[in-house]
Amino acid sequence: MKKALVVLEKEWLELRLQRALLLATLFLPPLLTTIAIAAFVLVGLVPASGSAGRLPLIPELVGLSPQELSQVLAGRQFSVLFLLVPIFIPSVLASYAIVGEKRERTLEPILATPIETWELLLGKALAALIPALAITLASATVFVAGIVVFAVSAAVRDLIVTPGWILAVLVDTPLLALTGVALIVILSSRVNDPRTAQQISAVLVVPVLGLIFGQLAGVVVLGPGLALGIGVILAFVAAGALWVATRLFQREVILTRWR
Amino acid sequence: MAHAIETHGLTRRFDGRVAVEGLSLTIEPGTVFGFLGPNGAGKTTTVRMLAALIAPTDGDAIVAGHALGVDDTALRRSVGILTEQPGLYDRLSARQNLRYFARLYDLEPARADAQVERYLHLLDLWDRRDEPVGTFSKGMRQKLAIARALLHEPTVVFLDEPTAALDPEAARTVRQFVKGLRAEGRTIFLTTHNLPEADELCDSIGIFQRKLLRMGSPGELRAGLFGAGTIVRVVGDAARYVPMARSLAFVRGVHAEGEALTMELDDPDARNPDLVDALKAAGARIRYVERLQHSLEDVYLRLVGGHK
Repeated sequence: MKKALVVLEKEWLELRLQRALLLATLFLPPLLTTIAIAAFVLVGLVPASGSAGRLPLIPELVGLSPQELSQVLAGRQFSVLFLLVPIFIPSVLASYAIVGEKRERTLEPILATPIETWELLLGKALAALIPALAITLASATVFVAGIVVFAVSAAVRDLIVTPGWILAVLVDTPLLALTGVALIVILSSRVNDPRTAQQISAVLVVPVLGLIFGQLAGVVVLGPGLALGIGVILAFVAAGALWVATRLFQREVILTRWR
Repeated sequence: MAHAIETHGLTRRFDGRVAVEGLSLTIEPGTVFGFLGPNGAGKTTTVRMLAALIAPTDGDAIVAGHALGVDDTALRRSVGILTEQPGLYDRLSARQNLRYFARLYDLEPARADAQVERYLHLLDLWDRRDEPVGTFSKGMRQKLAIARALLHEPTVVFLDEPTAALDPEAARTVRQFVKGLRAEGRTIFLTTHNLPEADELCDSIGIFQRKLLRMGSPGELRAGLFGAGTIVRVVGDAARYVPMARSLAFVRGVHAEGEALTMELDDPDARNPDLVDALKAAGARIRYVERLQHSLEDVYLRLVGGHK
């Protein structure tokens, strides 16, 4: 375990030296949060005239004023970004940490040390997951605070910051992020460019987009039950992906099978 | 004393293809062993097996007192390896690179720092310690990679082409360093294509092409393949003394070229005085008498060429 922390420390040291990567990843959630709150505040300033009664709305939105409706729609659209960002950031960081090492041929000297391969993998996975999840959760907290402060009514707040959304952020996104890292490890055995690995791992976004569009269309309601159900499925998917990843991330396999 | 490296029938197959076949050898502590062979001969696979990076398909080995496959983590802690590619982190400084590996080799932070400083001084990199490795020359990178292999003071060190692509001055520095390691009592397993270098550094040499073709000291390899001999340089055409030389019982072979008369003898040290007397009696005026010295390259080419 101690060596996993040594690996983590080195990964963060390298990350600090890659300004462009740092800016492109870790500053994205705060930026999106700022835009989300600004947009939420702006639509709340729209004069409360007219009626939303003739719009084909999903049942839970029926009866809201145009001002409330504007804030709910804007808030919900931005809230889903917090489900996507934790997939994107760890994938980028892990791809540079693993495929990058493969490309630079630095893996063999590491594998020649007394480190266990699970320690190496854990160090790299945590180095990608911790900053991504920490900054996402911090940004989500700021987003929630913005909703609470700037919502034109309590109904708006309750329709955006739902128990289902909170559970999804707390339970589902870390599992998606973990699956993303495992997928990067699996892809590392075949690709030599971090960007290729990132592009392929972007497939993980598809189920989340399905959830988002389903919710917008009123087909899916992200309640606590669904969030937990998705969490259980993701736990199995993450476990399976990690199992494959750990089987591929062995000295023997890396040195003789990775291309 | 136990051998530094001992292998018995070490074999590695990849999907049915045999990369290393029945390698059996012993290497004594405090010696430099040269492992020579053409590209694709299985040298890197052998080194990877001995450094517990990949497992043998068959056979066994004891390296630095650790049996392969029993406690490979302990084995890896006892050996150092310079891989074919230096594999350094370009963005990190020399000191950061070494400190990372020192910690991976289980050195406590204070000892890690002390070892890093020691080897940066030893390899003349201290002045550049805080510069990114990406700015280093090939020679500096190679020296840094060698330092990395030694931070934990291994008793057995594997060096894969340590002077490849280095300029003569840097290559000489590395060779001197390898000699210093031997003087400290470490065992060096040196893989190289540089035959004069192997001749200069190695106490014993194994010529390898999927299997071990021959092993011995450079002198033994020469004598075993070519026998001993003497070159006599005479005034005038040497060919006229060939019949006389052939008539001598202790001469096994004669070849003349210009003024040089090359002869294979059973025991040059004992027979050279008789040879010189016989030539003088035949009217030869002798300029020089030299020991017939085949190069390691001759040995290598005959063995590897013959195997092909």
